[in-house]
Amino acid sequence: MFSNDSGLLQGTLELLVLKTLSWGPMHGYGIAKWIESATNDVLRIEEGSLYPALYRMSRRGWIKGAWGVSENNRRAKYYHLTAEGKRQFQEQTSGWQRFAAAVTQAVGTVTAPNWAS
Amino acid sequence: MRKLPFETAPQAEVGDELQFHLEQRIRDYIAKGMDPATARATALERFGDVGGVQRECTELLVDDRRAERRRDWIGDLKQDLRFGVRAAMQAKLFTLLAVITLAFGIGANAAVFGVVKSVLLDALPYREPNRLVRVSGRFRDGSSGLGGLSVGAAKDLADRQRSFSSIAIFQGATAQRVFKGDGAARMVTLAWVQPRFFSTLGVVPAIGRDFRDDDALSDTSWSAMLTHTAWEQMFGGDPAIVGKTFQVNGITRTVAGVLPANFVSPMGEVDVFLAMSLPSLMRDPITVRGSHNMGFVARLKPGVTIETAKEDVTGISNDLSREYPRDDGPFALQARPLRDSMVGDTRTPLLVLMASAGLVLLITCANLAGALLSRTISRRKEFAVRVALGAGRERLVRQLLTESVLLSLVGGAAGVLLALLALTLMRRLALNALPSYVHLALDPGTLVFTMLLALCTGIAFGVVPALSVGRTNMQSVLRDETRGSSESRRSRRLRGVLVAGQIALCLSLLTGAGLLTRSLYTMMTTPLGFNPDGVLAVDVQPPVKAMSDADPMSRYYSQLEDRLHAIPGITAIASVSELPSARMNDNGLSIEGEPPPPNNQQPFVTYASVSDDYFRLLGIPLRSGRTFGPEDRPNAPTSVVISETMARKFWPKGDALGARIRLGPDAASPWKVIVGIVGDVRNDPLSSQPQSVTYVSRRQEPTGNLTFLVRAQGDPMAYAKRIQAAASAFDPDLATHNITTLTAYLADGLAGRRLPVVLMTGFGVLALLLASVGVYAMFAAMATAREREFGVRVALGSTRQGIAGLVLRQGAMWMAIGLAVGLVGVLFVGTMLRNLLFGVKPFDPLTLVVTALMIVACASIALLAPVRRATQVDPISVMR
Repeated sequence: MFSNDSGLLQGTLELLVLKTLSWGPMHGYGIAKWIESATNDVLRIEEGSLYPALYRMSRRGWIKGAWGVSENNRRAKYYHLTAEGKRQFQEQTSGWQRFAAAVTQAVGTVTAPNWAS
Repeated sequence: MRKLPFETAPQAEVGDELQFHLEQRIRDYIAKGMDPATARATALERFGDVGGVQRECTELLVDDRRAERRRDWIGDLKQDLRFGVRAAMQAKLFTLLAVITLAFGIGANAAVFGVVKSVLLDALPYREPNRLVRVSGRFRDGSSGLGGLSVGAAKDLADRQRSFSSIAIFQGATAQRVFKGDGAARMVTLAWVQPRFFSTLGVVPAIGRDFRDDDALSDTSWSAMLTHTAWEQMFGGDPAIVGKTFQVNGITRTVAGVLPANFVSPMGEVDVFLAMSLPSLMRDPITVRGSHNMGFVARLKPGVTIETAKEDVTGISNDLSREYPRDDGPFALQARPLRDSMVGDTRTPLLVLMASAGLVLLITCANLAGALLSRTISRRKEFAVRVALGAGRERLVRQLLTESVLLSLVGGAAGVLLALLALTLMRRLALNALPSYVHLALDPGTLVFTMLLALCTGIAFGVVPALSVGRTNMQSVLRDETRGSSESRRSRRLRGVLVAGQIALCLSLLTGAGLLTRSLYTMMTTPLGFNPDGVLAVDVQPPVKAMSDADPMSRYYSQLEDRLHAIPGITAIASVSELPSARMNDNGLSIEGEPPPPNNQQPFVTYASVSDDYFRLLGIPLRSGRTFGPEDRPNAPTSVVISETMARKFWPKGDALGARIRLGPDAASPWKVIVGIVGDVRNDPLSSQPQSVTYVSRRQEPTGNLTFLVRAQGDPMAYAKRIQAAASAFDPDLATHNITTLTAYLADGLAGRRLPVVLMTGFGVLALLLASVGVYAMFAAMATAREREFGVRVALGSTRQGIAGLVLRQGAMWMAIGLAVGLVGVLFVGTMLRNLLFGVKPFDPLTLVVTALMIVACASIALLAPVRRATQVDPISVMR
């Protein structure tokens, strides 16, 4: 499921974007780069789906874009979290953690069920 | 929630963002040692479908921006509304007055529009009513309005036309006959139509079947179609009515069907429709082309316009005039939309009313604009503070417009209530003055119209004050504290213009109302030529057995007359075939010894059959010769009494007595001898010219139904019951109906004229009131604004009279300008009203002067308070 070149689930991508922006405003390229490095290149962002996701999140009012100037003096659109975005981030993080813990626990179980023989 | 300061086009914005991404990626690849070309290719490959992503993102962004604008707009609106409500609550009196004013202005328009819509705009209850056409006949010389056409002409037109897909010919006139059900004999109104009549109109019977062609063919079928009302009134709404038989005038009819409840007949009130066959009508060689009493309705073929149909009909009409010069020469056929024929002569009064209501609304707008202007000037500080706190001018203008629209919407809602009230009143006052298909009610369409009108009104009266705020120099307002001396010259002039405008509109409206009032007064006071006071009129319809021949019929009437005479208190009785009215029977006139008139110039005269006492009872004076008496026996040569106008017109040398004439199209009918000349009677109270009238004796030419006129001691209506009882006792099959006093009957005829007069006068009074308030408000505000200046003037030695003169001069100037501009409006109003006027010219100096004086008087009264206030300025207190 999470092989190197697999796509990301929609919700997962959004959570990762929220996480990235929780450090502060960043442009689309920076978001992609951070997610890749933070997951040790395990999760390679499909760029074709990152930008629509950003716009969709803007529309939902989680993040907001504003034009600024990049490190190398180029005009770039920086996204930041809105109040609603911060709330979403909290909620989705804890949701994800519960989900991941549950899956981890299930996957790591060693005691076989009684129907297994 | 502000917009982004520099909003770029969505596509460019997305493009920029993606471009930046790719550039960064390429830069990183190059930093890792790739050559630029490979870096670029790899970056693009990694990204995937750039175009697709850009499209998708652009769409999302466009959506987002739209939503944001909506949020912004709604947020601003909420804020404006909150401010608006607060501002309105702070000035309760102003708000109340404004709402009342608006309610009247908008309510008047809503009510009139409700009427106009139901008369002129709503669809008639037919299928595709706009494709229906009515063909009427008229004299080529214009001596009559639109009327019927002859059977022959109708048949020829039906055969030759190329414009209609379906045609129905019908009897133009309805007839009243006796119906005797379970109760007493009663009158029912019959109409004769070709079987295709209802299918041409696109009306399907609610119960039973439509007429079939064979309904008209056989002389034994006698099928009848009932209207919904007749079905309920004659048969108690019997659901199994189809196939049952009933008797009208002794003839048995079978019910074929019942029409839907919303059916409206093009020929007025009808109870029973009977199928008519054309060939049987065409048997009489004299009436076939000589009597013009047929109606003609048709449906346009698909793709044929009304204009084409008109040309078609006119062409055929011209052919007929050539082919039958004697009968069709003087006649022209004319096609017009069926609706036009049903709207009749209510169109002009309605448009006049709509225009008057519009004028009232304009005055309302000017009035409120003035009031709002004063209010914005006194609120200047508030606005200056808001500008200082960062509100844009545009935002401020919007705020003020929201306030005024809010006011006008509330006013509009109140106006709807007023309109409901007005329509209820109008239903009583005017229903018989309007076409029969009209249902007066505030329908959704009218409500939408009213609310749109309210919206426009709010913008109209709000825009001037709002813009004036946008223009004010806010800094000076803030800095100036109370030192803002007089109001600016600009806003003073603006207010003057608004006052002048109100006076101009008011003058136009009041002059129009005055002209109409004078017309109505003249109509009511011009001598009728007879004395209707204390006379009771009763329509009677004898059963068919009494109508066999002239002599027994005349005797029957005489016996009935004797019975009625026996009622104590009744002093005189007479009868006439038709009460004097605008639509009496006309007959072609030929005079012995004179060459027959050229084919298209045969004169027509009104015809009435009367009893001996008719002239005496109504007080119509005998000018020369004699009136009818016992010597006019049924078999003696027919005597004729004519009216003065007729004698003067056709026998200018004064030799009318003894002359012989012939009436009607039958060239073989015996001559009638003129035996007397009587005074003129104005049949049509709407026309100042008396018509030519010929009277014949009831003894010699009795008619099927007639009206008895009864003069009695005391209130004539008190005899109604006794007369009916006596008539029933005389013959149970005799029907009496329409019992009314002659004065009430004549007043009914004027009802259509009274409606616009009453309403327009009402509007005029409203306008005068509004304009007076406007004048007061303007000068009160001006006096307040110039208080300091007046104080200085007084301190410098100006007298109180001088100050008063100052204010008055200004008032007089704007009033004069208003009156002058109003004269132009009067020209328009006069032209518009021309056809409704009677005995008064469209530009009547007396009306104009009286109106102007009235306005000046009201405005002067309105000026008193501000002038007093201006002269009582205390120089010490204002300058401290």
